[in-house]
Amino acid sequence: MSQSDEFSGRMGLIFAAIGAAIGTGNIWRFPRMVGANDGGTFLIPWLFFLFVWSIPLVIAEFALGKRSRTGTIGTFRIFAGKGYAWMGLWTAWISTAIGFYYAVVAGWCLKYFQLGITNGLVGENVDTQLVWNEFLQSSGSVIFFQFLVIAITLLAIWKGAKAIEKVNVILMCSLFVLLFMSLGLSLYMDMADGTLDGFLFMFTVNWSSLGDPAIWINGLSQSAWSCSAGMGMVITYSVYMRKDEDTTLNAFTMGLANNSISIIAGLTVLSAIFAVSENPLDTVTGGSSAITFLALPEVFAQAPGGGIGAWVMMSGFFLALSFAAITSMISTVELCVRNFVDHGYEREKSVLLTSIAIFIFGLPSALLWITMADDGTAFPQFLEVQDHIWGYGLMFSGLFIAFTIWKYGFQKWRAQVDAGEAAPGLSGYLGVGVSAFRDDFINTGDNDIWIGRWWDLLMYLAFPFLFAVLILSYFGDMIANTPNVWDPTNPSGITIILLFWGVVAVGFIAFNRKLTERPLFRNIPEGAEVDISMLPGGSDELVVELGDCPEGWEHLMTREVH
Amino acid sequence: MAKLVAMQFESRKTSLTILLLPFLLSFLSPVVSSSYAQDASEGLAPWDQWDQDDEGKYISCEFDSDGNPQCEYIFPWGGNEMMQFKEYYTFETIKARMMEIARDNPDIIQFHEGLNGGTNARGEETSADTYEGWHYGHSSPWLKITKDVEEGEYNAFNGDTGNYVDRPDIMIVGNHHAREWMSHTTPMLFLETVAYYYDGGPVDNDGDGKFDEDPWGDADGDGQVDDDGDCLALEAQYQDSNGDGKPCNPGDFGVDEDFSEVELTNLINNREIYLIPLLNTDGFIYDQTVFCPAPAWESCPSGGWRKNLRNNGPEPLPDPNEQVDEDCDGVDLNRNYQFEWGWPLGATIPLIPGTCTPAEDEQAGISNNDVYTGPYDTTDNDGDGLVNEDNVDGEDDDNDGKTDEDWAGGNSEPETKFIQDMTEMNDDDGDGASDYKATLTYHSYSELVLYPWGHCTGCQTTDHDQLVYHGDQMAEMTDYTNMQSSDLYPTTGDFCDWHYGVHGSYCYTMEIGTAFHQHEDDIDHIAVRNNGIAFYMAKIADNPRERADLAMENVVRNQILESPSQLNVPASGNVPISMCLDNSFSIDLEMRNSHVMYRMVKPSRQQSDYGPKEWYTESWSMSSFSVAKGETCDLLNDSGQGYKVVANVPVEDDESGYLHYKAMVSTLGGTQKIEYPPNSQYHEIKIDYRAPYGTIFGSMVLFATIAVFVWGGLGVCLRMMMDDESLKEGILDAEFIEEEGSS
Repeated sequence: MSQSDEFSGRMGLIFAAIGAAIGTGNIWRFPRMVGANDGGTFLIPWLFFLFVWSIPLVIAEFALGKRSRTGTIGTFRIFAGKGYAWMGLWTAWISTAIGFYYAVVAGWCLKYFQLGITNGLVGENVDTQLVWNEFLQSSGSVIFFQFLVIAITLLAIWKGAKAIEKVNVILMCSLFVLLFMSLGLSLYMDMADGTLDGFLFMFTVNWSSLGDPAIWINGLSQSAWSCSAGMGMVITYSVYMRKDEDTTLNAFTMGLANNSISIIAGLTVLSAIFAVSENPLDTVTGGSSAITFLALPEVFAQAPGGGIGAWVMMSGFFLALSFAAITSMISTVELCVRNFVDHGYEREKSVLLTSIAIFIFGLPSALLWITMADDGTAFPQFLEVQDHIWGYGLMFSGLFIAFTIWKYGFQKWRAQVDAGEAAPGLSGYLGVGVSAFRDDFINTGDNDIWIGRWWDLLMYLAFPFLFAVLILSYFGDMIANTPNVWDPTNPSGITIILLFWGVVAVGFIAFNRKLTERPLFRNIPEGAEVDISMLPGGSDELVVELGDCPEGWEHLMTREVH
Repeated sequence: MAKLVAMQFESRKTSLTILLLPFLLSFLSPVVSSSYAQDASEGLAPWDQWDQDDEGKYISCEFDSDGNPQCEYIFPWGGNEMMQFKEYYTFETIKARMMEIARDNPDIIQFHEGLNGGTNARGEETSADTYEGWHYGHSSPWLKITKDVEEGEYNAFNGDTGNYVDRPDIMIVGNHHAREWMSHTTPMLFLETVAYYYDGGPVDNDGDGKFDEDPWGDADGDGQVDDDGDCLALEAQYQDSNGDGKPCNPGDFGVDEDFSEVELTNLINNREIYLIPLLNTDGFIYDQTVFCPAPAWESCPSGGWRKNLRNNGPEPLPDPNEQVDEDCDGVDLNRNYQFEWGWPLGATIPLIPGTCTPAEDEQAGISNNDVYTGPYDTTDNDGDGLVNEDNVDGEDDDNDGKTDEDWAGGNSEPETKFIQDMTEMNDDDGDGASDYKATLTYHSYSELVLYPWGHCTGCQTTDHDQLVYHGDQMAEMTDYTNMQSSDLYPTTGDFCDWHYGVHGSYCYTMEIGTAFHQHEDDIDHIAVRNNGIAFYMAKIADNPRERADLAMENVVRNQILESPSQLNVPASGNVPISMCLDNSFSIDLEMRNSHVMYRMVKPSRQQSDYGPKEWYTESWSMSSFSVAKGETCDLLNDSGQGYKVVANVPVEDDESGYLHYKAMVSTLGGTQKIEYPPNSQYHEIKIDYRAPYGTIFGSMVLFATIAVFVWGGLGVCLRMMMDDESLKEGILDAEFIEEEGSS
């Protein structure tokens, strides 16, 4: 009997992928980026990079996961070779490390939903800053909601793909509804003062600042982060793809759906703030959490329809935000769990272990260093330092994916040259090597959209260039604007990042041999053509189908019988 | 089964450890961060305050046998004991060091000895020999310091290039008196400072991580010369490192040690400095090598050789005995300048050969001809048949229509001739007047700042108030006492009376230190204490009178730059920022000399997701002033009406955040920039977004475009997906049946 786990249909996969992509980044980061980057001006690079960066990477992820039928570690082991499994470990680690504090953040959203439905944010004497500071400083409350998020996540993924799918479908559909409702109210508010200035601001290009590189870099980073492109989420979910499913149309759908939600959320937030705030730009250019938890409650409290309007707006918006956060949390945990399951661990135990770890290691972010900023707003500095350290680690996950593609192309071309089938030299490489991945894994015939040469160009030229721009501008800015930036004890410096990255990378590389000594179980649906003989993993005897057992590892199978 | 569990456990443990290692490591960050956050507490020791391991360390401390710390300055140019100001120069070493520095800094420093000579300002023929010391035959070594010193005009008489009409000149002279050794050491520290720090960006001189935070004097007006408080942060026992009984006053560790290198560089670029550290070569060599055997502070604790080595007898002149006659020989160079020479105070009777009064104990400083002014002039300088009928005093004593044309004496020595000719032959702009508007001479000792007059008591110069003003500034910088020279004792023919009386130069005599032969342990801190003086004098050399006037009349203080509450930000366009200026203050409208400095602080485009709001600070820009014609304004302190100048600061309508601004105004070709508000502060005003948010039409167009791309694209995708799904429906069902069947 096939033990493979899969989504019930295409929509299940799409919803799960969209749920992973849509997170707090769409709802609270995007409006703020629009505010800080000259409104409509920002939309141009943001949309441009959706097609240049995010979608091509997502296509690659779908293709990788669909063929490897394993999580991130297995995918790199199969595609890049035994020696590169640590890249998958890195991808999994970064996502999990972010999950540690992301659970805390998702907890904040739930808390504000609770405040919304209990009318805790409406009234004469409510000082949103005070509410926020008190909440952040009451560790019990923060931990309670963090725990709640992890518990919900655990329940959602306990049973595997079909449950994940179900939860994502429900949450995502609700999110659409809630957001549209909030948008309606927001636009009404913005129109009520006769100007619709939030809409105007969001859709007006300031041509003079369109040449500002900062706006383009921010557009790129927003697109990269918000779509979860290159972060391993899609690899993980495509493990559960049905056998003949498409890899390309899904990527477009996911990317466009992600941006659709961003626009709706952006318009909701900006319209509401511009309708109410005296100095809307002061408000929308602040830090993300400040907008969401300080400004928006104030704004929503003035929603039309009195108490009811405020109640609907407040609870609706924060419920949508919570859903967005939880679906992202689900994909984060699943990414980690999938890797355990691939290596022969029981699903339930893996889920439990991961959840407990995420809870425990999230505690410092919830508790430590709750600091007062100059303007009297509390913020969790430990959490911020964690974000500072791991946030840009995601970039390397994307780089590893690109590396795998480059490596495959090069090796295929070398092999063909050796076999006398391809020309040596640049023309041969361009003819065979560069398009190899696309020919073999993307345009397989199952895809609804045929991917042309443009994808190769983006992967081989645009990706490395944009990667370098992002990394250099990030570190360049940091070096230029951070005092004592090289001081290793400075938590917002550069040395601490490089140190942690270095330790993690070295540790993972050292662990790589141990990791690849274990068998790898691929989650292959019945009858699917997922030949990996042309890949480095094809010659790895320990890479087997789920249900098969490599020699010497029979003990792992015994656990399946119960 | 047991073995199986163990294996699982082991492998899980390993993977867990590896997985969690980085996270466990990140728990270290609070530990290190708390030590990072630790602040300096009170009562530091010098080695806590200044990093001892740092290469460019500012002081170094060692412990003596009793365990007591011994700290001393470390000068960043390195070098030997002499260059570290731990021991004295000799004539050879000071000259060698001057040549070395000039060789290493050819763009700004030029080495000379004496003058070329020629026809001097009073028509005398001189040659290079004229300026050589009587006894040892050396000319005074000197340096010309200015930017591009090898360019500019060449002065054939003085022999220097680097003469620029628009650069004010300043002369700094050390060692008129042979035994006053700190008087050449201090200008040498000035020289080392210039050579080392010229053209440096802001340098953190004391290694405390801050830049230019403690300039000379009390820059922030809080009554403490230790502007950055690093000396004040020391334990009480370390606060008086120079042992003068006053904690954290000039010369102590941590006081005035981090001056502005930019200002230093500006001065060198805009001044011509004539630095003559060792004027009296003969006397100094004799004092150091013959008269006061080393260590001089023991052999000559209170005296020493003072004069040059003119041969006064007692043998009939010419003296066949080439030996120096310590009872008779020498002229006090600082009594040999021609202004009010020998008259009426302080003159000594001219020595007649063979009538010298033997010194009782010249090493102890008891001698009756130490202030010998030099011989009377017996020539009829103007050829009118009368001798000495019109001494140099600025008046036409004989009513013949000419002034000071037949002097009674003075200027008889090679050293004073050197100074007088260098002064009178240095006339870049050809106006017949000396270019030195400021002059400075170091003497020792007494810890005084002296200004003219020296030749009369109960008298005042016409610039008395202004001279007092600058003297007070320098007295504050050094914690010395400012007084009129003649109030110490009357003199005749001294350097400053001559410079001020004949050439109108603001001239100061610094009586530095506490001994003639100061102990060598005291060299460095006394030189450091006086190091700012030469820079101050160089700064005011453009127009010392006007600088004092402006400061004294409170013109500077009563002028005002609009404060944020007065500022009116228009609904769109530039932000006009105005200043109210005193009518007597004629502003130089050249942008580099008078301007508003401004910068925007805007929210960063890349905000932190979880942290506080982040800001991006632009660098400063300049905007020039223009006079608002016909508009008057109120000056501060009820000092009446002034005129208004306005600078239009460009702020885009779509910029929001904070505008920082400050103003600099100058009347003097930019040499003295007066800051508003003072001490590098600035005003801040909030700038709101002033542009329209957009037009309905434009935004609809973009909205439609985005909507077509994103929502339209999504619709197409979903459509394709639906079509595909229904196509596959059949296959799916078939699979389902298959699976059902097989299970």
